This record gives sequence, C-alpha cells and structure tokens, in this order.
Amino acid sequence: MDFFTACVWAAGIAIGIAAFGCGIGQGMGLNGAVQGIARNPESSGKVTVTLLIGLAMIESLCIYALVVALILIYAHPQAAEIIKTVAAVAK
Amino acid sequence: MGFDIQQRMIDFVIRSNWYIFIIATLLGFINTPFKFALGILCGGLLVTVNFHLLRHTLYKAFDASKFHASQIIVNNETVDTINGHSILSGVIFKYYIRFAISGIVIFTLINKNIVEPMGLVIGLSVVVASIMAATALELTRLIFKEAV
Repeated sequence: MDFFTACVWAAGIAIGIAAFGCGIGQGMGLNGAVQGIARNPESSGKVTVTLLIGLAMIESLCIYALVVALILIYAHPQAAEIIKTVAAVAK
Repeated sequence: MGFDIQQRMIDFVIRSNWYIFIIATLLGFINTPFKFALGILCGGLLVTVNFHLLRHTLYKAFDASKFHASQIIVNNETVDTINGHSILSGVIFKYYIRFAISGIVIFTLINKNIVEPMGLVIGLSVVVASIMAATALELTRLIFKEAV
C-alpha cells in the first residue's frame, strides 16, 4: 500500500469513527432533552441551555476529526519528505 | 438557582466567544505568518457563527411560549411533537445544513491551501475554550461560595 492510499484510508476511517461517536452522543443528548421538555415544558429554558453547551462541545470534536482527515489527505506536513524517503528506499 | 447558573454560563460563553476570537485573531496577525493568522480568523469566525446559529435553532425549537407538548403515535411509536410538527426533524435538518456548509468551507480552506491547518485548528477551538473558561469560572465561584 503506497503512502497516499494509506492516508486516504486513515482519513476515511478517522472521520467515520468520529461521526459515529458524535452522532450517537448528540442523538442521546437530543433524545433526553426532548423527553425532558415533553414531560415538563416549564423546564425548556434550563434544558435548552445545557443542551446547547453539550451539543457545541460534541460538534467541535467532529469538526476536529474532519480537519485532521482533510490535513491527512490534502496538507500532510511531512508528505514531501515521506515521498522522497519511499522513493530512495525503492531505488 | 440552577437556572441562574446556566443562564449566566451561556451569557458568558456568548460574550467570551467574541472576545477570545478577537484576541486570538489580533495576536495571530501580530505574531504569526499571514496564512496562520488567516486560519485563526476563518476557524474562529466559522465556529462562532455556527454556535450562534445552533443557539438560534435550539431556542426557536424549544421556545416555551410556543410550546404545547403533545405526543402522537406513529407506527406504534410515541413521538414528541410541538404544535403538530416533530421537534427533531427541524433541528436535525438545520444541523445537517449547517454542518455541510462548515465542511465545505473547511474543505475549501485546506484543499486550496488558503490557510495554515494548525491555525485553523486553533481558530476552531474558540468555542471550546470559552465553554471551558465558563465552566472554570462557575467552579471557582462554587468553591469560594462553599468556603465562605
């Protein structure tokens, strides 16, 4: 497997796992909030504030994973050196 | 009392988002290369606007004055509704639109090499930093209150 294939695989798996985890986390949070408000509508203010902070934190994790995946594919900092090393080893 | 803390925290986060964003961007443009500072600016702006849109969506969805909680049964499952519309569909649809736009913007910034990726990561951490700061502040207040 060459270097770029490995990078694309790593990026795909990374964003897949991150989206899976964040999706489950956000789904659970939203489920709890909706159930809580449906049972006690007066608590909507409290629940919304807590939900907002939680969702923002979870969402930022997924955005980090997206950035890391994109860095792996398009802006790998050591890409040039690794290609040189691989080419030298191949010779 | 609980609601006071939460409201205070969210007010603090909303204000400190902009303060941290402005300070980080200014420090970036003064101390770091242009592309790095541009990364902080773009990342910070993206997450701050995202946070405000998320807040707007959630407050609109869970607005107590418009709230008439009811439950309907769809395919033998109980679904929570507000005024006959599903709560989840609106929030999730807006979430996906927002997230798709963020993804396209970040993709363009990195793909076209417009910004330095590390600067972008620092910019994207603005909201996390302000939430951490708000939590630390509330914890400090709580500890000192208990000590007194």
